Parts: sequence; structure tokens; C-alpha cells
Amino acid sequence: MTRYDLIVVGAGPSGLSAAAEAAANGLKVAVFDENARPGGQLFKQIHKFFGSKEHKAKLRGYDIGTELLKEAQEQGVEVYLNAVVAGLYADKEIVVRLGEKVAHFKGDTVIIATGASENMLTFEGWTLPGVMGAGAAQTMMNINRVKPGERVLMLGSGNVGLVVGFQLLQAGCELVALVDAAPRVGGYGVHAAKVARTGVPFYLSHTIVKAEGTDRVTGVTIGEVDSKWQVIPGSEKRFDVDTICIAVGLSSSTQLLKMAGCELAERAAGAGYLPVCSDVGETSISGLYAAGDVSGIEEASSAMLEGRIAGISAAGKLGFAAQEAVTARLATLTTALEALHEGMFAPKNRGKSVDKTEEGYDVSTNLLKKGYLADEEITKYPGVKSVSGIHPVIECTQNIPCNPCQDSCPKKCITVGGNIVTLPVFDEKAGCIGCGQCIAACSGQAIFLVNEDIGDGLAAVTIPSEFLPLPEKGERGAALDRAGNVIGTAEVTDVKSVKSFDHTNLVTFTVPKELGMRARFWRKGAAI
Amino acid sequence: MRITEHPILGASEERRTVTFTHDGAAYTGFEGEPIAAALKAAGIVIHRYTKKYHSPRGVFCAIGRCTDCVMVVNGQPNVRTCVTPLAEGMTVDTQHGAGGEDRQ
Ligand SMILES: Cc1cc2nc3c(=O)[nH]c(=O)nc-3n(C[C@H](O)[C@H](O)[C@H](O)COP(=O)(O)OP(=O)(O)OC[C@H]3O[C@@H](n4cnc5c(N)ncnc54)[C@H](O)[C@@H]3O)c2cc1C
Ligand code: SF4
Ligand code: SF4
Ligand code: FES
Repeated sequence: MTRYDLIVVGAGPSGLSAAAEAAANGLKVAVFDENARPGGQLFKQIHKFFGSKEHKAKLRGYDIGTELLKEAQEQGVEVYLNAVVAGLYADKEIVVRLGEKVAHFKGDTVIIATGASENMLTFEGWTLPGVMGAGAAQTMMNINRVKPGERVLMLGSGNVGLVVGFQLLQAGCELVALVDAAPRVGGYGVHAAKVARTGVPFYLSHTIVKAEGTDRVTGVTIGEVDSKWQVIPGSEKRFDVDTICIAVGLSSSTQLLKMAGCELAERAAGAGYLPVCSDVGETSISGLYAAGDVSGIEEASSAMLEGRIAGISAAGKLGFAAQEAVTARLATLTTALEALHEGMFAPKNRGKSVDKTEEGYDVSTNLLKKGYLADEEITKYPGVKSVSGIHPVIECTQNIPCNPCQDSCPKKCITVGGNIVTLPVFDEKAGCIGCGQCIAACSGQAIFLVNEDIGDGLAAVTIPSEFLPLPEKGERGAALDRAGNVIGTAEVTDVKSVKSFDHTNLVTFTVPKELGMRARFWRKGAAI
Repeated sequence: MRITEHPILGASEERRTVTFTHDGAAYTGFEGEPIAAALKAAGIVIHRYTKKYHSPRGVFCAIGRCTDCVMVVNGQPNVRTCVTPLAEGMTVDTQHGAGGEDRQ
């Protein structure tokens, strides 16, 4: 039986990080993944990540994946693909199905980084072809490069539903509605806002009544739910769709940990059983660790740090790394991880409704109920100041762990500060030069550049654009407000596509002066 | 259904075109892509009918977990088409019955 110092199950962000960290300390490491390609969820993520530099913020998921994979390879990590780990024993032996063969491997330490699987929801017609997990849609469009459907309804307003919804639009699909049974949008407001401004309606407190079709989905009916989650008769709405995507949460894939006999417990009633782990991710079995989504659903940024924490701990446990070195490294990693565990979406705040930001600003109920900020509330936030000349308008109003905007500005116009969940503050005295760096750096596509009066009764607005086809200079189209309503005609005066902007294009258009603080999206065609 | 130009991912890379048949009719797809992707691109969404209720199934998880997408490939039933690469000359047929456990 082949033996390794460390066996990692799962080649997602946490598994690869764990492997790279341990191998860098001299451990002989193997990673096993059931997929044909490594990277777990990362290669499907085509958006820019949140966090700060140390969390690789501002990079797109697949670029982070490529970096990680390269690091693991350079450190000599062996990666076994198409390798389903079917068994794990308490003595840290694993059973692997490699094609037709079954092989056994033994690790002195083992890190389980098997991630999570999508939850499902049943309703009439839910087994029809055309009903699929949001992750499936993401795989089809971002990996296989095939549209999952032409007209899609998304169920779920958490980050997965919002992000996949936006990616469906980027792939050229029509998103007819975003639906959630909860009364509030579950994911980041900035993710919701970028979907809402394209004109996609949000139906909160709604659920799917049924999917129609005999051989495939041809339509869907949704209905409003009352406080007991029952559909209110007469509230039904019907849409023609060929695809329904379900994004109702993820569940940790803890099967192997269970099999090995690790202690599992519910952290909150109904939250599902998760491994009981030490600060470094060690389970109740010595030398067996859990890292990433398998130990609680979070993000790739935290999964990578948890992986590294487990990796360096395994190195310490086996005596490859000196205790002081381990302690120092753990301190750095833990600080970075704690930075991600703050803010209104932090694990500790799950299920709570947060009405005020940490600074004391009201959390926009419009944003939570409709997916966008109301025109009249926008200037309440510290990133928005209506001043003369060109200035950024930072529509980032919730405490989320993120700060690339601050690092991007050459004139120091934007401050987030030491705690990265603090709302970005715009300093009008710093002298914005209109370079647009902040727009391209913003992971949430929440920054716009506005000159509210350029003469001739016009205002100029610059927006981030990640859609095709890009407009052309001089092209007239429709100006849409934050809600996605057409509010006037907009003429494109500049389109900037720069390599360092990493596929975020800057589109500048002019609109009548009174629309400068309202127009937030440009659509091809007449303003009707 | 193919995404040829994508604002982030760019133009899709050149891949070799192969022919395959679905229930006797000829189609083309790209070598090495999941069979399910080639079917989707061809507008085919029904992969199989369940044993008991003969209800249709299509791609559901796209990562080889749910077995909804299994078909008869080169005469062999229960092939998960979402994770099986397409090859020249494959026969891909709708599966009736058998398969894994069915979601009802
Ligand atoms: C739509 C969407 C958007 C997201 N956006 C962001 C974002 O903006 N920022 C962010 O930080 N995070 C984001 N995430 C979350 C992030 O992708 C996950 O939190 C992260 O991938 C978890 O990493 P992981 O390594 O724990 O698990 P995964 O990435 O799920 O990897 C687990 C791996 O284990 C393998 N595996 C499982 N079981 C076995 C077995 N028995 N044998 C062999 N292999 C096995 C799987 O095949 C998989 O490759 C997003 C997720 C989704 C779905
Ligand atoms: S446009 Fe340039 S100068 Fe102005 S706030 Fe943004 S990054 Fe700073
Ligand atoms: S404004 Fe700053 S903190 Fe907010 S999403 Fe954009 S980059 Fe992140
Ligand atoms: S779609 Fe689930 S196994 Fe293929």
C-alpha cells in the first residue's frame, strides 16, 4: 500500500491550499479528486472575488485556481484525478476507485476537503428536464460553454443564485425572474444590484408552485408565500421558461468523516451535522483534519486559508516544521481568516436580520426586498457624495469583507480602513482624476464615475460593463436606473477596455443632467 | 446554444469536431466535451425515461452525482453523459428504464 505523509481528499481551493502548504514544508503529499479536472468550484467562478489582497481579492476565481494549481505542482504535490475516495478509516487509510480499479492508500495525516453539494427543493414538475441545480448551469455555461437554456428562472437569492443569475446574463441567456421564499435577499447587496439594474425582477417571499411541461420545462408558476410559507391563493404568476435553476443552499459533504467515526454536531438547530474541529481544523481523530466547505459552508477565500491552516498543522504534527515556525504561520493565517469572519454576512450572523451597519447607517430595506438601492437613499452612504466635477459614486452599503477599491485609487479618494468590512468612504477633497481604476477593481461592480454637470444640460456617467456586445462610441441606447427601468436616452461617449481591467470594460455615456445620479446601466436599442 | 463569444472567457478555443448519433440521427459535437454538452448544443434535453413512471430526465447536477443524465452509449447503459467525454462515432441513445435510484 502506498504511503504518504499527507493525503488530501478533494482538489478544490481548500484541498489544493492544504497540499501546497504542507508540501512546501517537505511533506510527501497526494491529493485525490473524483473530477477529471482539479480546482473544485473555483474554475466555474468567473467573477472577481471579494476580500483583500492577502485573500486574492479582485482576481477572478479561475485565475486563483490556476495560481493554486501551479503552486501545488511546483511543490511536488501528486494529484490523482478521476479518483473517487469511497472509504476512510480511523487509521487514516483511504479506499479509492480509480476507474475500474480499487486501490488503498495510507496517510500519516489526512485532510478532508470534499466541499459541499447543492440542496434541492421539490415541487410539482421538479424532475422535468430543464430543472437543474445552479451549479449545473454554471458548469454548462462556464466550463462546457453551452447555454443551459434560453429563458431561465432562478430560485434562490443567496450569493450562488445572484452570481449564477448574473453569469446567465453574461452567457446570453434571458433571466426572467429571481425568486426567493425568504422575505430578504440572502446574498450581498452589490451582487443583487448588478442583476437588478439590468431589469431582472426580484420576487421575494415567493416560491415555485409548479414547473410545467410534459417532456421538458415549458413554463413555471410562482406564488407569494405567507408567514407560514403557504402560497397565498390568487398570488400566482406564470412565466414562459425552458430552464429553472435551483440555488437553495449547500450541504457539507461529510460522508467520509462520518465513515471514519469523527464526532459531528449541529452548530445550530437544523443547520446539519458538521465535524467538531479544533482551531486548526483537526477532528476528534488525531491527525485527521477537515477544511473548507466540508467543515461549514463559507467561501473559497476562507476555504483556502482553512486548507493552509490544516496543512501547516499537519506539518507541525509530523515534525516537518518547527513549532515556532508553525505558530508564526498560524498567527498570520488566522488573522487573515478572522478578517473574513466579520460583517453582516459572517457565519456568526447567519439567520439574523441586521438593520444597521457597524457604522450606524441603516441597511437599505429596498436593497434587501427588491435588490436595488432607492434613488433617494443613495446619498446617505459614505461612498456617495453629490459634488461638482468628476467623482466616484460608491454604492457599497453593507458590511462585507472587501477592500480592492481602497487599494486601487492612485489619489487615495477611497478609504475602507483596517477592518475590511467597513463601508468605503469617498473623500471629495482628495481630488479624483477620473482614471476609472476603482470601477475596474470593484468586485461588486458597485462603483460608478459621475460628472453631474458637463454643460449643455448633460451629465456623464461611467459604468462597469461585462456584457457583449460592447456599445460603440456615439451609439445611442437606453439609460436604465438601479431598478432596471428605462429612464431616458443615453449616448455613449467612450468605451475603455484595458488589459489590466481584466475584462471589466468602462462605458461612459451622457444623459440629461437630472439623470446623472440615477442612470446605472446602458442597454442597446431605443429608450422604450 | 453554444456560447461562442463570452465577455469574460473570450472566444471558445478551437476543438476538433466529431460526429455521433443520437437515437439514429447524426449530429456533430466537439471531441472531449461531455456528451451532455454536445446534446444540449443540439437542443436535446431528454436523456432517459424512468423505469416505473416513464418520466423524462435530463441534466440535473452536471457533475456526475445524480445519475439523471445516464444514457445508452455505444450500447452500454447507465453511462453518465455529463462527465463522459464525446468521441468520434459514438452512438448515444435515450435510455428507457434501468439506471440508478430515481428521484420521484
Ligand atoms: C456560484 C458560486 C459563487 C461563489 N462565489 C464565491 C466568491 O465570490 N468568493 C468566494 O470566496 N467563494 C465563492 N464561492 C464559494 C466557493 O466556491 C466555495 O466555498 C469553495 O469552492 C469551497 O472550497 P472547497 O475546497 O472546500 O470545496 P470544493 O471547491 O467544493 O472542492 C471539493 C472537491 O472535492 C472533491 N470531492 C468531494 N468528494 C470527493 C470524494 N469522495 N472523492 C474524491 N473527491 C471528492 C470534489 O470533486 C471537489 O473537486 C462560490 C460558490 C458558488 C457555487
Ligand atoms: S476614478 Fe481614479 S482617482 Fe477617481 S476615485 Fe476612482 S481610482 Fe480614484
Ligand atoms: S466598493 Fe470596495 S468594498 Fe465595496 S464591493 Fe467594491 S471593491 Fe468591494
Ligand atoms: S447530470 Fe447528474 S450525473 Fe449527470
